[in-house]
Amino acid sequence: MSTDSKSGGRIPIENGIEQTLRKVLKESLKSDLIDALLLPVKVPSGDSYAWILMQDPALVEEEASPMAAVMPVQGAKALKSLTRKGNGSLRVAAMMRPCEVRGTIELSKLNQINLDNVTLISYDCPGALPLSDMSDAPQDTEEAFMGLLSERNFESTAVKPVCQFCTEFSMGAADVHIGMADPDTSQLLLISGSEKGTAFLSATGLKVDEEPSAWEKQTDSIQKKRIQQMDKAFQTIQPMVEGFDNLADTFSNCIGCHNCQSACPICYCRQCYSDSKESSLESAYYLDKAEKRGGISLPHDRLMFHVGRLSHMSLSCVSCGQCTDACPVSIPVAKVFSYVAAQTQQAFEYKAGKTAGEAIPLKEYKEDELKKIHEMTKSAESQESPHE
Amino acid sequence: MGKTFNPKITAFLCKWCSYTGADLAGTSRLQYPTAIIPIKVMCSSRVDPVFLIRAFLKGADGVLIGGCHPGDCHYESGNYHTRRRFAILQSIFDSLNLEKDRLRLSWISASEGPKFARVCNEFTDKIQKMGPNPTRKNMFI
Amino acid sequence: MSKMLTTDHGADKSVVDLLRFLLDTEKVSGVLTLRKTNTSGSLDYGLLTRSQELDRAVPLMPVMPANAAQSLSLITPTQKPIAVVVKPCELRGFVERIKREQGSLDNVLTLSPTCGGVIPLDTYIKKSKDNLTKDYYKQVKAGEIPESIRPTCKACEYFVPMTADITVSVVGEQNLDSKCRFILNSDKAVSMTEGFGSVENGDLDAKILDDHLKKREKEKKALFESIKFKQDGLDGMIDVFGKCIGCHGCSRVCPICYCLLCDFESRNFDQNVSLFEKELEQKGALRLPPDTLFFHLGRMSHMSFSCVGCGQCTDVCPADIPVASVFKKIGENTAALFDYVPGKDVNEDIPVLVFKEEEFKELGE
Repeated sequence: MSTDSKSGGRIPIENGIEQTLRKVLKESLKSDLIDALLLPVKVPSGDSYAWILMQDPALVEEEASPMAAVMPVQGAKALKSLTRKGNGSLRVAAMMRPCEVRGTIELSKLNQINLDNVTLISYDCPGALPLSDMSDAPQDTEEAFMGLLSERNFESTAVKPVCQFCTEFSMGAADVHIGMADPDTSQLLLISGSEKGTAFLSATGLKVDEEPSAWEKQTDSIQKKRIQQMDKAFQTIQPMVEGFDNLADTFSNCIGCHNCQSACPICYCRQCYSDSKESSLESAYYLDKAEKRGGISLPHDRLMFHVGRLSHMSLSCVSCGQCTDACPVSIPVAKVFSYVAAQTQQAFEYKAGKTAGEAIPLKEYKEDELKKIHEMTKSAESQESPHE
Repeated sequence: MGKTFNPKITAFLCKWCSYTGADLAGTSRLQYPTAIIPIKVMCSSRVDPVFLIRAFLKGADGVLIGGCHPGDCHYESGNYHTRRRFAILQSIFDSLNLEKDRLRLSWISASEGPKFARVCNEFTDKIQKMGPNPTRKNMFI
Repeated sequence: MSKMLTTDHGADKSVVDLLRFLLDTEKVSGVLTLRKTNTSGSLDYGLLTRSQELDRAVPLMPVMPANAAQSLSLITPTQKPIAVVVKPCELRGFVERIKREQGSLDNVLTLSPTCGGVIPLDTYIKKSKDNLTKDYYKQVKAGEIPESIRPTCKACEYFVPMTADITVSVVGEQNLDSKCRFILNSDKAVSMTEGFGSVENGDLDAKILDDHLKKREKEKKALFESIKFKQDGLDGMIDVFGKCIGCHGCSRVCPICYCLLCDFESRNFDQNVSLFEKELEQKGALRLPPDTLFFHLGRMSHMSFSCVGCGQCTDVCPADIPVASVFKKIGENTAALFDYVPGKDVNEDIPVLVFKEEEFKELGE
């Protein structure tokens, strides 16, 4: 992982990981540093979670599920709804998966989240389980996830496909990070990632003076395995998307519901271009087009929607897998987006949501970047007749 | 908690009739409960059922629409549309077993200051008996 | 007595033949039909203009990848005549859209089957398609309700198309594989099919359809019983809709929800942090993103009386909420206030656009 020296502190695990965590979070609420916590809470029907902004310490202790088995709503979206219109005086600490933190960072760059009064807490994530698992068998799903956490299992194949090859499962831009990968399973390791984080940890009464080198070693080794997994996965995804026919086949069951887009933390537009007036034409156009080609497919532009979305948001894609969870026809949307995003982000040496400071690549440019495109235009020019 | 229950009632009042009626109640020094929070609208038909739903879900203990008597609408037929929408909303609340008695539709003309005061008193009494809207305390809404 | 046209081929082939006839004789410029887009059975709606494109058409396939009413809004009004094969609820959905100025039936020849119901998308995609449709048709031919169809289809009383020019007889047709009966409901239907086959007097088999209707009514009762809300309605609501993830897929696939930007995705209900803070102070805890129930209740108030019960919303719900069953029940009650049957008559206004002076006297005091 990164080479900055980090410091952390430990508290003994009592009554399970979640209970220990709840106690820490509760302490933070009692301090005068945090006014409210944003945490997942199981819904009354027991088969999903909702993001709840809470002020009551008793609620934290009794109801919160800080590490939820599934991710019904991407945390960045919850935070967005709170601070989209600017900042208030409310100081919030939110506990999220690393991909949710990355989504949050991207949305803050896109001016959809204001982080001034927000403390972000993340944890080494074994991956989220598919949302449908929770609908089908809530208790089993929860137990399965708790099992992954307590066994420090970062190689499960039960988690969402994109989670299995997620290389950004550990500490990123969060202010506080919980080192779930740490070899010491009797204590919870809390690491500070910023001044805000240090203040948060000291407010909970934790001594933060340890260099978590064992944890770093462990996360490094998990990451190596995840990178291998990613290479393997990308080899299987490549044939799914390369060439028009393959891409069309991958999305052949698409019904144009745009659930993938509305579940996506990055797609923040209230009205997607593809749902707008601009994207549809006069009624006669469709029959005209059909007459030219023999036929057209309806609802229209389903493939264009996906490619268009890739062009709009892949630079910020955090590979959270929400799109696949939301797809009613089981298209592996997240795999495709993850694969393409890896390449678009690579072109700018950018990793979506990794660090808070960087602007999104489309907001700036360098004169001497993207040599390949430069060469392409050069060679095109040389084939044209010279000017003058 | 032992706190006494102070109901809050959101009242959407049409500018031409019910709001003027409320004014008349005021200038006539008629007492009506402070629970009523009036919102002036140009016509009762300006009130999308969604406004009522929102008030209800945000914890209003009662929601009142006041409009001109049928036939007296300043815009001829606005209140007839209001009545249909109200019927729809009541039906939805009924089907879902939500407390439809927290919604009320009243026709109050500009000259009916006493009626305005009476409707407000009655409705407040009723809501007082019903107790606080459960939406006030529910975090999953 | 209506006019009837009978062919000596199975229903699917006969409908394709008719579409081909219409294209080849240039009676229509295009046809809208379900078709397979690949060998694994993916489906879409094709707007087809050449008869050879019909080779992959499966006009009666009991699956609804999208409610065709939406696509019909896109391709109409049309100057050139087209023929469309859609399910009864898709046609009803389109009629409701037309009332909202979202299309037109002018120059459109509508074909619709007596509908055995549709198989949920998830089932269709994941299970063996051959067995699925084989079992499906076995039950449809016998006039039974297929086990595999959507819950709201089982409970659908409007399986006989209401406004189709041509009704294709499917439910209870024992010889569905070897013959096909088209009921010609309009003069347009008679003139358009002229030359396709001999026309005689005839109609749908009322007894068979009546028996089938009784079965559907029974299913409907059972469905509505199953979604009974608890005594405290709010808790019941949260029990059902509490796990909603707010994707609003249900409204996007809804044939009635035609707004490009839904009220509930607009800026209209955005809140400043200060308002959240105030609410938090009062409640101690609140949900983010907010307005989960608000969206569903609001949508009910906006469209339930026009709900055609197609079930598309349930099919796309990532949280497995039985949206359609609830909306169907709510919709029946709101539509009944006005003796309104969504999709029955294109000339009838939607209830919120009109009123009667003498109605609802009991409301308001």
